[in-house]
Amino acid sequence: MVFSATFTLTDLRMILRKTAPTHQLDPRQREEATRLLENLERQVASLKQEMLR
Amino acid sequence: MRCAAGIEARQVNELAINIDPIQAGGRLTADAMKAVIAYGDGYSVCDNCRKPNRLDYISKPPIAEFHREVAAWLGMDTVRTVPGARRGFQAVARTYVDKGDPVILTSLSHYTEFLAVEESGGIAREIPAGADHIVTAEAAAQKAEEVRRESGKDAVLAIIDMVDYQYGNLHDVRAIASSLHQYDIPVLCNGAYTVGIMPVDGKALGVDFVVGSGHKSMAAPAPSGVLAATAERAGEVFRTTGITGDVTSRKFGIKEPAMMGCTLMGATLVGMMASFPEVRERVRHFDTELANNRIVLSALQSIEGTRVLSEMPRKHTLTRADTTASFDTVAQKHKKKGFFLASELEEKGITGIIPGATRVWKFNTYGMTTAQAQYLAAAFTDIARHNGLNVA
Repeated sequence: MVFSATFTLTDLRMILRKTAPTHQLDPRQREEATRLLENLERQVASLKQEMLR
Repeated sequence: MRCAAGIEARQVNELAINIDPIQAGGRLTADAMKAVIAYGDGYSVCDNCRKPNRLDYISKPPIAEFHREVAAWLGMDTVRTVPGARRGFQAVARTYVDKGDPVILTSLSHYTEFLAVEESGGIAREIPAGADHIVTAEAAAQKAEEVRRESGKDAVLAIIDMVDYQYGNLHDVRAIASSLHQYDIPVLCNGAYTVGIMPVDGKALGVDFVVGSGHKSMAAPAPSGVLAATAERAGEVFRTTGITGDVTSRKFGIKEPAMMGCTLMGATLVGMMASFPEVRERVRHFDTELANNRIVLSALQSIEGTRVLSEMPRKHTLTRADTTASFDTVAQKHKKKGFFLASELEEKGITGIIPGATRVWKFNTYGMTTAQAQYLAAAFTDIARHNGLNVA
């Protein structure tokens, strides 16, 4: 689970690299970023549940 | 933000377009970043090392398979990973070069090739590049003849850069190797700027060795690289140890002295492995990279006085520009002097050229998106106009 969240952040990092320096996302990139951020939220929620139980 | 005390988190490639000529091809893929995170511990790839206890035999992670795939990809028979291209030059030089032996390099060779020759006691003999900064087979043959005449023996090795670091020019390694083989000189193709960037086939080039740089061109962490050899040469460079301790009678299996045993044992290797599928694919699309390079070059050339010193049309994305008659004329009067260019680029989110350089400088467009190439092109012309230069 630790890796899942970290890897998702890595994918987000790649979007930042591909769109530097303006970071204006095209529709496809925006869709991808949305998907990744939603995954990240789920992964962080699971982490909370596992580590703080 | 800091990674640790005194170590700032590096965000160069997240915040800016980086046109540093040596960094472009070494930026990690997402998969490499993930692998580095998971395999950061020292001997991380050694969990499943079993007899015969050598790196290139490990099957989990699939290091053995990676070695086989890279060899096939490069059209060579055997591959080892090395801590940087320079260690590949060194291993080969140590195998073939003895004190006083002539070794053929070129007038555009990377300094580490000279150091590899020097460390083995060899003598560097350079093939001069032509006025167009291209090394030819004819010049190579002339040099081989000159060495034979002056030294009374043939060169024992030649190291030829496929694309040189100074101009980013593509040299006809195939013809040069064919020419040098007439003198039985083994030829090492330095693919530091090509392996992982554009297609490289050692068999088609007819060379004895191909060296690639992981951190320069294979989207891998530093220091990393590959040394590939033909079957004929592999037994020489990748010879196995024969030494025995006189007290303990210890022997060391099939470790290879030229490799100093195992080479890349952690994040560097898995980083290179993780990037490999994407790297193998990206070389097939080098034409897109050249198209992006043309967008930027076209903009630069539209600025009156700017010249491109590299061969045209470009065959590689590493390019040498001369802006002595354009940006440097601005520098003469600007309050920031020569630093104005890097400074104004920085303001636009572009980094990678040497601060203060306004005469002759290099840049590399490799790996940027077309939108980024267009942004970079516009930045150059905007800066030119803003500083009173004529733009066509």
